Amino acid sequence: MHERIRPLTSLLLPSRSDLTQPSITAVPCADGQIKSAHRAPAQLSRRTLLAGTTLLAAPAILSRRSQAAEPCVVGTWGGDYARLLRENIDDPILKPAGIDIVQDVGDEDPRISKMYAQKKLPHGTVDIACVGALKGYRVVEAGLIEELDETKVPNLKHIVPNLRMPGFVPHIYSAQVLVYNPENVKEPPQSLSDLLDPKWKDKIGVVSTAGSWLMLAASQVETGTTTDFDKAKAFMLKLNANGLRLYPQTDSLAPAFKSGEIDVSVIWLARSFMWQNGGFPVRGAFPKEGSVLYVSGMVLPKNAPDKDTAYKYMNALLEPSAQQGFAAHMGYWPTVDNAPLSGAVGEQLALPEHAPKLIAPDYASLSAALPDLNDWWLKNIQHG
Amino acid sequence: MAERREAGAALVLLGPASLMMLLMLVVPLGFLARDSLNRYDPTELMIAAVTPDNYMRFFADPFYWNVLVTTIRVSIIVTMVCLALGLPMAWRLARSTSRWKSALVVLTVLPLFIGSTTRTAGWMILFARGGMLDILSRDVLHAGTVNVMYSESAVIAGIIAIILPFTLLTLQSVFEGIDPRLEEAAASMGAAPSRAFWRIVFPLALPGVTIAAVLCFILCMNAFATPVLLGGPRFQMMAPLLFWAFSNDNNWPFAAAIAFILMGTTLGLTGLANLVIPRRYHTR
Repeated sequence: MHERIRPLTSLLLPSRSDLTQPSITAVPCADGQIKSAHRAPAQLSRRTLLAGTTLLAAPAILSRRSQAAEPCVVGTWGGDYARLLRENIDDPILKPAGIDIVQDVGDEDPRISKMYAQKKLPHGTVDIACVGALKGYRVVEAGLIEELDETKVPNLKHIVPNLRMPGFVPHIYSAQVLVYNPENVKEPPQSLSDLLDPKWKDKIGVVSTAGSWLMLAASQVETGTTTDFDKAKAFMLKLNANGLRLYPQTDSLAPAFKSGEIDVSVIWLARSFMWQNGGFPVRGAFPKEGSVLYVSGMVLPKNAPDKDTAYKYMNALLEPSAQQGFAAHMGYWPTVDNAPLSGAVGEQLALPEHAPKLIAPDYASLSAALPDLNDWWLKNIQHG
Repeated sequence: MAERREAGAALVLLGPASLMMLLMLVVPLGFLARDSLNRYDPTELMIAAVTPDNYMRFFADPFYWNVLVTTIRVSIIVTMVCLALGLPMAWRLARSTSRWKSALVVLTVLPLFIGSTTRTAGWMILFARGGMLDILSRDVLHAGTVNVMYSESAVIAGIIAIILPFTLLTLQSVFEGIDPRLEEAAASMGAAPSRAFWRIVFPLALPGVTIAAVLCFILCMNAFATPVLLGGPRFQMMAPLLFWAFSNDNNWPFAAAIAFILMGTTLGLTGLANLVIPRRYHTR
């Protein structure tokens, strides 16, 4: 008389026996023939089936963590950088380990804005975000970034000491150098201050978006530190008065060099490497006061959906083969001490005999001064 | 009853588009308006507040005023040139009975098949030092180096090239709608073709010409790629300034305020143009 109590799911889903029994049953008839008859499914309607499957699927729909085969999402720049990530990290290291990678390609600022916008969500949309060291410092300060568990990134122990920064995995780096066209320049400048000489008037070109990095170099040449922005501003006004030419992007410098519009620029060594390999034989000279470093790397957002895979990605990033691959194609130095460069690449990226001073910026002071520096640059250098 | 039916039909026809506009434009603009009243912080990016500081920063600084004035100046010049070039071309095209008319119309549309950034890259090749103009001037005419790149003239030329097809197409459809027999009637009464055009055709076309001018002006006020690529960093217009505020410091509140100032100025000046044109010529 008493109906057996069945579990809740059984009200919504058919039991195993329900499912194994055929829905069409053979029924013997009075005439001796056998006819088929439809059997109504026991305790199951289409509505209950839909409701049940939805209920069971809900956790999987709401949380991508529960899906085992979910790929690791890397927020990155596009172009060569994205391609080299695929060719040096994703395909040779992670895919054989069963890890799929999806690149979320975009510029740094939208990527960072997205991280801020998603900070209150339990799960963000990227597992790893590529950022420059300065922006990396800012997002770490803003509390958006996971404190790195170094045991999960064993390659971190190989990081070059002056590139280390909490929460940030340095991937590639380069130095700011004086790049010149050897066809027109027989006596290359030795220091940023040499560019104030009237002989360079109208022959110096820089990328306007790198203004804050030039301010660091200007501070360095004037004071021996990268933090005196008042002195840097005074220097930049003098340089601007010497016919400084501004270009919207790095790529617009190459035609300016080729046409003879400019003879000298202040830019990353890696860029001169790429131009050299592109058949344009510019040369880079390390300024005697020291070269400011540009470091690009990756951070792990606190709300990254799959942190374990992200750690594996970060470790792969620092593998010697991956580091050497980036150096060979983009001219950035490896950030680890166990990826020596050899052959033509090694020669092109070798430091001069008298090792130049390589200066990692003081990101705290630069970050604090940046809004003012950008505003000042726009109004006094771009509009000056 | 008929009125109610008409209202119902209007609702059905306008409803989906209006709803889309509400969701895709008005709601995000609402968020942006709210952001423009927030306070910027280099670390937190945006701190919730209700402050007019971002608008005050813009209006209190002559630099930003200059950028706005430059944008308006360039937009007015471009609009005037586009109308000056577009009116005769569009009129001639509309009155053409040639079998090549369709081909000519396609030719006017053809530039729109190429993205504006690609076209701007073409202008860069033409304008730059060592570019076609420079080579022509130096080696053929022996007139010295010509470098038009990174100048207001380059930006104006580049924007005209992008906007002229829009102006031309708008004006052509306006002229197509004016009965050519009106001109014939004017001619039969002794009016010269130019007189017939200015006294008969142009007043009739004025509402359409206004629309073409407004379209041209709005597109120019919001130009981004051309000012960046052909104007260079020393030339400032509003859309690149907006992007600068966003991209250099992620200063969303100030960038949002610039966006609203740009939008308000464009709408205000467009409204002003409507007031300047005599009421009897307004679109009904």
